[in-house]
Amino acid sequence: MNELAPTSRLGDANEETLRRLLAEAENIHGVSLWQDAWRRLRRNRTAMLSLIFLILLVITTLITPLLPLQSPIDKDLDNRVFLSPNVTSISMGSRPGLKFQDTSLVAELNAFESSVAEERDVIAKLSDTGERQQAQAELDSRIDVEHPFNQLWNDLGPVSFAMCRLRVAVFGDFALPSVFGTDKLGRDLLARVFWGSRVSLVVGVVATLVSLVIGVSYGAIAGYFGGTIDALMMRIVDMLYSIPFIFVVIFLVTFLGEDSVKRRLDAVGIDQITIFYIIIGAIYWLTMSRVVRGQVLSLRHEQFVEAARTVGASPARIVFRHLVPNTLGIVIVYLTLTIPAVMLFEAFLSFLGLGVSPPDVSLGLLLNDGVEALSSVKLFWWVVVFPGAALALTLFALNFLGDGLRDALDPRMKNR
Amino acid sequence: MIELAKYLLRRFFWMLLTVWIVYSVSFVLMRSVPGNPFSAERSVPPAIERQLRARYNLDAPILQQYTDYLKGIVTRFDLGWSIRLEDYSVNQVLAEGFPVSASLAIFALVFAIGLGVTAGVISAVYRGSTLDTSMMVTAVLGIAIPNFVLASLAILLFVFLIPVFPAAGWGTLRQVALPALCLGLPVAAYIARLTRAGMLEVLTRDHVRTAYAKGLPKRTVILKHVLPGALLPVVSYLGPATASVLTGSLVLEKIFALPGMGSHFIYAATQRDYTLAMGMVLTYTVLLFVMNTLVDIAYAVIDPRVKLQ
Amino acid sequence: MAVQTRRFLLMVAGVVAFAAIVWASRFDALPPAEMSFQNFSDPKTLDPHRATGEPESRLIFSLFSGLLEMLPEGAPDPDTGLQPMTPQPALASHFDVSDDRKRYVFHLRPGIQWSDGTPITSADFVWSWTRMLHPTTACEYNFQLFSVPFAEEYATGTVTEGDRVEVELWDRPGETEGNEPNPQAFPRGTILYGTLIKIRKPPPPELAEDASEGERADAEATWTEQWVYDIELARAAEDGSVNWNDVTETRSFVVDPSSPEADQSTTRVHGVLVAFDKLGGMEAPDPETFIVNLKNPLPYFPSLVAYYPLYPVPRHVVEEHGMPMWTKPENIVTSGAYQLDLRRLRDRVRLRKNPAWYNADEVKIELIDAMSMEGQNTALNMYETGQIDWVTDPPAALMDELRKRDDFVSAPQLTVYFYRLNTTRKPLDDRRVRRAIAMAINRKQIVEEVMKAGQTPALSLVPPGIAGYESPPGLVPDLDEARRLLEEAGYPGGRGIPKMTILYNTSEAHRAVAEVIQQQLQNNLNVKLELQNMEWGSFLDKVTQEDYDVARAGWVADYSDPNTFLDMWVTDGPQNNTGWSNKQFDGLIRDAASEADPVKRMALLSQAETIWIEDMPVIPIYFYVSLNIVSPRLEGFAPTPQDKHPIHLLRFREAGEARP
Repeated sequence: MNELAPTSRLGDANEETLRRLLAEAENIHGVSLWQDAWRRLRRNRTAMLSLIFLILLVITTLITPLLPLQSPIDKDLDNRVFLSPNVTSISMGSRPGLKFQDTSLVAELNAFESSVAEERDVIAKLSDTGERQQAQAELDSRIDVEHPFNQLWNDLGPVSFAMCRLRVAVFGDFALPSVFGTDKLGRDLLARVFWGSRVSLVVGVVATLVSLVIGVSYGAIAGYFGGTIDALMMRIVDMLYSIPFIFVVIFLVTFLGEDSVKRRLDAVGIDQITIFYIIIGAIYWLTMSRVVRGQVLSLRHEQFVEAARTVGASPARIVFRHLVPNTLGIVIVYLTLTIPAVMLFEAFLSFLGLGVSPPDVSLGLLLNDGVEALSSVKLFWWVVVFPGAALALTLFALNFLGDGLRDALDPRMKNR
Repeated sequence: MIELAKYLLRRFFWMLLTVWIVYSVSFVLMRSVPGNPFSAERSVPPAIERQLRARYNLDAPILQQYTDYLKGIVTRFDLGWSIRLEDYSVNQVLAEGFPVSASLAIFALVFAIGLGVTAGVISAVYRGSTLDTSMMVTAVLGIAIPNFVLASLAILLFVFLIPVFPAAGWGTLRQVALPALCLGLPVAAYIARLTRAGMLEVLTRDHVRTAYAKGLPKRTVILKHVLPGALLPVVSYLGPATASVLTGSLVLEKIFALPGMGSHFIYAATQRDYTLAMGMVLTYTVLLFVMNTLVDIAYAVIDPRVKLQ
Repeated sequence: MAVQTRRFLLMVAGVVAFAAIVWASRFDALPPAEMSFQNFSDPKTLDPHRATGEPESRLIFSLFSGLLEMLPEGAPDPDTGLQPMTPQPALASHFDVSDDRKRYVFHLRPGIQWSDGTPITSADFVWSWTRMLHPTTACEYNFQLFSVPFAEEYATGTVTEGDRVEVELWDRPGETEGNEPNPQAFPRGTILYGTLIKIRKPPPPELAEDASEGERADAEATWTEQWVYDIELARAAEDGSVNWNDVTETRSFVVDPSSPEADQSTTRVHGVLVAFDKLGGMEAPDPETFIVNLKNPLPYFPSLVAYYPLYPVPRHVVEEHGMPMWTKPENIVTSGAYQLDLRRLRDRVRLRKNPAWYNADEVKIELIDAMSMEGQNTALNMYETGQIDWVTDPPAALMDELRKRDDFVSAPQLTVYFYRLNTTRKPLDDRRVRRAIAMAINRKQIVEEVMKAGQTPALSLVPPGIAGYESPPGLVPDLDEARRLLEEAGYPGGRGIPKMTILYNTSEAHRAVAEVIQQQLQNNLNVKLELQNMEWGSFLDKVTQEDYDVARAGWVADYSDPNTFLDMWVTDGPQNNTGWSNKQFDGLIRDAASEADPVKRMALLSQAETIWIEDMPVIPIYFYVSLNIVSPRLEGFAPTPQDKHPIHLLRFREAGEARP
């Protein structure tokens, strides 16, 4: 561990020895656990590949709106239903049903923006403040309702909106062809896989973080106090292990989907998908708490904890400042294993029809659609293969990274 | 022996407590969720709904419903009549569904343990070989694909492309094979990984080196000295494995049209069949609890250092 | 743990594991049935008076027979291939109708019997109809008999002073004074008859201002139970007839003996209801004649008689085993072409030919399995591998492929798919907004590219194909007009419309339609809708509580008459659930109900539909087609308007016989 070795015991050793020891110590280059682990991880090819893949994945999911993808929600029912993978180029806004000017998103956007600008000029010339404000509000609501982006993307937040705007500025009407094919309603699968990964990954990460917060605090507290408190807290965990959670989830999802409840939550700024994360997270903390408790139990009699206690640190400070950081290694390993579990659980809920609701899209939802089109009568293989591959690759990478991290952080492997 | 009996007694007490808490929580949850068991497309006139409520004791004050139903369960093991499947009592539904789910789960677990342990041992013994890598990649694949996708692919493969299994249904060994395989595969994959990790760790231990040094044949060393120790993590995984098999069977019962309990579980919850849902939750709770207890005992049996507490 | 213990436990574990595997590998394999079909979900019940829904109806129509039955008549329609179905004699060999169309005399077939050999008599019908209407039976279809005098009052438990009533004493089997009630209403307690002279009501309960609707209903019901009825009892003769003028004594009765109005002489009873079966609605002058007298000349009454809620149930079995035990395979006795052989949940219901059926010689298939199977792909897979012979719910995703096949049987069906609008909420309380939204939906695209099975766009409510009825011209989809209407309503360009949500029950097909409509309205009107799916239970609750903006729905004709689609929209009708109310519409529906001339009646209904279309409380989307995939080895399967296919008409094609 990288805590300082207590020097106080050397107090009665003679100075000569002390100086010699210090000189020796200076020659040793301390290798921290993390540096050591990182060194070992770097030697693990699969783990490194996984890490790189995951970093790329995170980046792409962050900038999905910037990529020259087709619209994930625009359904071209008349011409593009169940197209197999192809490279026929497609330009944004070309579907006649959209009624875009010159069947082009750029043209429509320009037309819209110039008309907004005109209106703005008119408003600016208004002399009466009240009138001006009113006109301004009207214009804002018009932008809100009539913006061409509404037709192609669903509920863009301000950041995503800006990214979409930038995307149009950079790529214009260009969009990648449907190399993954299209689905039963004529939507581009490539775009859907990207946007779906975004949702799935966010569900996985956020829910895991929720489970992390609950599990680590619970486990650390139980482990630190030990004795009766520990026994009781762990019995409760045992008990929770025996509860069939899907049942609870079904009920919570319906309960929280209830209008009155939703409105109340909306008022505090929590939407349904957030609740979804929290519910899943609230289920997956059990194992985490057990693992952390085990670690803390073995750490709590270490000298650095005693030291902290003697200088009068509060239990909370000891737990969260001194003990929890030392369990980080194992926690990270479990994180990489919990995220896949959560993502699979999301897919499972989608299969039962309890997942995210359209036009939002997640990999689970895509897979559910895909499985539906998987039949001996006619095989639309691309609707299941690409989302399946996306999910499998992500989970693959997470699993391998988890394995690699476990090996790397294993103290027994030190300096190997 | 006495130690074991004491342990079992204590666990039994905890089980009762768990079941009671689960009962109470489910009771509250079920009644706070919108919807009622009598909603139908053709809305039921209030007079009729009142009659129906009376039939299922739902017109009593909520606290009395709570105690009445609990009393029925405790004294007579009577979970009442199912509200939606009105020709059946919950006990009858369980009696029909449980054997199916149980035998599916047994097949899946046997398959998973057999395949998982074998694959894990082989891959640990031939560590670093192509065989090892490909097996472990397959194992991760098994973990990384949702089982409804796996099942659909398996049907295409083993029913249509290579017609060896029937498409769905229940009643013969051939019909149970494919769902058990799909159900067991993710568990097998997990077990294979755990076994491999366990084997690798034990293989480096001193007593194994000693055994080798004594000149014992490789097979004996692995089976007698390595495997028991290596199986510890597998045993502790069996509790969660049962849970995942039970959960997974919800999906597979739908895809393979199996008459197990899983589908009742979902329906009872979504259709507000209070009595059936309660019966299901309690059954699953008891099942999981028993499995977890068995796993703890098994752990103590395999590892002499572990004390039951 | 001691070594011996460990060894012992290991052995135990081994033995248990082995035993478990042996136990799990033992299967009691059923011998295969001759024919099997996908019956969608598990039947909720096999009691004809309790059942609703398609899977139940397929089984009940095979297990039970009525006076009349819907059977194919005449040649199929040359355009659609639709086989017309009419109510035809079944347990009744024929029936006579009076000139004013209010009196039906059914003559039972001689020698008809239940599957256990007990004869079926007209008394069975009197008893069955009474049971069907009895409040405790809680039959959802009881309104189908409401055209019989006093049926509605009986079913809803309404009595007024001066009514001739029946009193059921508190002496059902197993009941003693002060005991818990026996929830089994049949067999019934002792029934007394008499004339209600007075109802003594205690002061009504006082409720807090903010009491919920449920609390109010509860308090009201508790209060009603405390009413004390003073009744002049009449003498009942041996043969069951009652001489209402022969008063024996006057007694008082109450449901809740703790009522403040009750005294020592007040008798506790289950309830006081109008004496429905003694008031001339039904007559059974002899075992082979059954007479029904109606309040109104109902042109579709024979269709109702041919529907399963009016089928007789075996009194001797129901009274012996009670509800629901009488429907168990070991207890049930049937009157139809098949009897119940086996019932396994989530698996199958096995039907075996009933040799006692009057027309048993015509039944060609001995053993039929109705498979409880909801997965669309599962059913199709089983069909493709020859495990089942008839798929009732083929997957929409494959429709393009399936439609090309010879075994695909499809035809227009009397069913409409629509979106309910909540006319009590903004902006849907405005007729112009409702019409604008209805006009902006491209139904052709939905029908051709989403449903893909030959459904037809719906611009009115009543599906085409009902003999004698001509729907008024429907809504004309017109985008410019829609935009204009929206502007007129104060939402130019879609601005200012509050957030609305489409509510649908969890299903791939509903989701697809909702997603497409969402896009169409966004593209065409800039109206933004959110989607919310809910499972069936919550969904229905939301709709009945009118707690939604837009909700998906479908309506299957209960009988082949426009009334089944129209009368649900009357003000506060139990299926209305939109808050829509139109006095003129209500009046037309009422007039039509009492109109004896069929042509005039249809004209009235057509006028009502015109009003409905003008007001658009609901957006019709499309008319269904029935979708079946039927194995070429079966014959006798024809597409029918209500997608009903009498199973006893099916038979195997002779080898070598070509499909027509």
